[in-house]
Amino acid sequence: MNQGVAITGMGIISAIGNDVASNYRSLLSGTTGVQRVSKIDTIHRDAIWVGEIEHSNAQLEAALKLPKDHNYTRTAMLGLWAAKEAVADAKITSDAMVRTGIISATTVGGMDMTERYFYEYLHSEACRKYIESHHAGDHSQKIATALGINHGLVTTISTACSSAANSVMLGARLIKTGRLDRVIVGGVDPLSKFTINGFNALMILSDAHNTPFDQHRKGLNLGEAAAYLVLESDTLVKQEAKKVYAYVSGYGNANDAFHQTASSDHGDGATLSMQKALEVAGLSPRDIHYINAHGTATRNNDLSEGRALIRVFGDAVPPFSSTKPFTGHTLAAAGGVEAVFSVLALQHNTIFPNLNFESPMEEFKLRPETQATERELTHVLSNSLGFGGNCSTVIYSKATPS
Amino acid sequence: MSLKETSIPKFCYISNGKIWSNGAVWYADETVPFKQLMKGAYKQGDVNYPKFFKMDRLSKLAFMASEVISQEAPFHEETALVFANRASSLDSDRKHQHSIQHQEAYYPSPAVFVYTLPNICLGEISIRHQLFSENSFFIFDSFKAEAVQPYCNHLIATKKAPAVLCGWVDFDSETEYEAFLYLITNNTISAQAIQQLYKKHHDST
Repeated sequence: MNQGVAITGMGIISAIGNDVASNYRSLLSGTTGVQRVSKIDTIHRDAIWVGEIEHSNAQLEAALKLPKDHNYTRTAMLGLWAAKEAVADAKITSDAMVRTGIISATTVGGMDMTERYFYEYLHSEACRKYIESHHAGDHSQKIATALGINHGLVTTISTACSSAANSVMLGARLIKTGRLDRVIVGGVDPLSKFTINGFNALMILSDAHNTPFDQHRKGLNLGEAAAYLVLESDTLVKQEAKKVYAYVSGYGNANDAFHQTASSDHGDGATLSMQKALEVAGLSPRDIHYINAHGTATRNNDLSEGRALIRVFGDAVPPFSSTKPFTGHTLAAAGGVEAVFSVLALQHNTIFPNLNFESPMEEFKLRPETQATERELTHVLSNSLGFGGNCSTVIYSKATPS
Repeated sequence: MSLKETSIPKFCYISNGKIWSNGAVWYADETVPFKQLMKGAYKQGDVNYPKFFKMDRLSKLAFMASEVISQEAPFHEETALVFANRASSLDSDRKHQHSIQHQEAYYPSPAVFVYTLPNICLGEISIRHQLFSENSFFIFDSFKAEAVQPYCNHLIATKKAPAVLCGWVDFDSETEYEAFLYLITNNTISAQAIQQLYKKHHDST
């Protein structure tokens, strides 16, 4: 019982790269992946900017060697792509005795195909195979099957933008309490008209590149991504002499009982989730050396999150940045993407820049880091704050806390 | 008090135009549509929460049942919510579906869409009572107290929650809706006793 939770593998595909190494290079060089949308036929094409993954569905199908009659959605393909990298990275040799699970997060599920074929379903047989891949759990099952996870826990989390952080949290708890020896955790969301139009209706899409924590921020850019971590128990790490990248040392989830979609202006939920995570990790606020903020660049999020940071850290808010200007807001995948970035920050003792920041907000004096900076980092805190006030915080640490 | 008395939780049952509180009829109007029933109950309970009128029918049902209980036993901010139903959010799903069914008449409404998840009613109750607590919504074929009782007992035994508002809120249609919510404050209540309580009301309406 009470196992440490080691991270032994990572995989990612996002607008700034198709693997961990290329994502890291883009973060260091300050290269954004946000651009005009090219793969979705939308009337908002010239009004919005998105973080789009380079590969088309046809390229993904070929690279993943999917059979001709498959019913993979873009969600499942991106998810499998990143999960495969994570598993290869962790050098997992198949062993039936190791209790392995997968917890994947998504908000759109198979909506990318449903929105394409919705009106055709009624009169065309050929596209109906995608009805079965519409539900959120389909991609998790497909990844599990493709990776040979046939007996362990396979589950899906959908809690808006905190989804992947919650899958890290659930996975960590299952390892910690000895229910699993190994678990692949993370999330995936492709771009879709569903999210573009939905966020457009909420009037929170920026017509420019997103500028987190800036007084003149105009909203978010959507992005697509998949990102996974392999979590393993101390015992397994010892048995297999595994290389450990970092540990999941703390986590917290809270709701802020404020509104169906908005976060409380005072950051009640984010304050609670950060405090809970610090408590689980047995750390005090001053132990945190870098915060990968949720920082979506909407008026509501950055105000709410900024106030929460001040409530938790007082006048000693650690260096922080939002990496959304690189990737766009990848919704359910964000907590996975930023988990990978947080581990990269620890591995390379580097804080990644908050691109596009110019003027501090009038409500407080917080200034995010705007340059890639080398600094000794021991504990990194990552926030993922979801619509409806579902707020999650995960703390990543170099060593397992004693 | 005998053990029997202490082991029956506060509860509310709603079905077929009747609202029961702890076994007694609290409000009834079997002649009006659901919307009017809820409006009447709102007045009866002197609720004073205008957001109620923006809610979908599932949320109104869940909200009103929780309101009846909270008037007798106000909720602590860590009171957990563990609900279940059969029809998920189908009532709002259908409404949304109609608004997008025809390409030439495509008018989805965010005010409807936001209710196309069953657990939104948990959010409505949390916002109303400022609950910062654990909540879960399950989909089952029918109400089974034993399915959630171990979970509720665990929340109380581990002091994660001082109380759990638990039960069934199902809205399928104007004529098929049912709520049975009960407030668990200790872990001595048996699932069988709760199931019997439910059955008694379910069978008599």
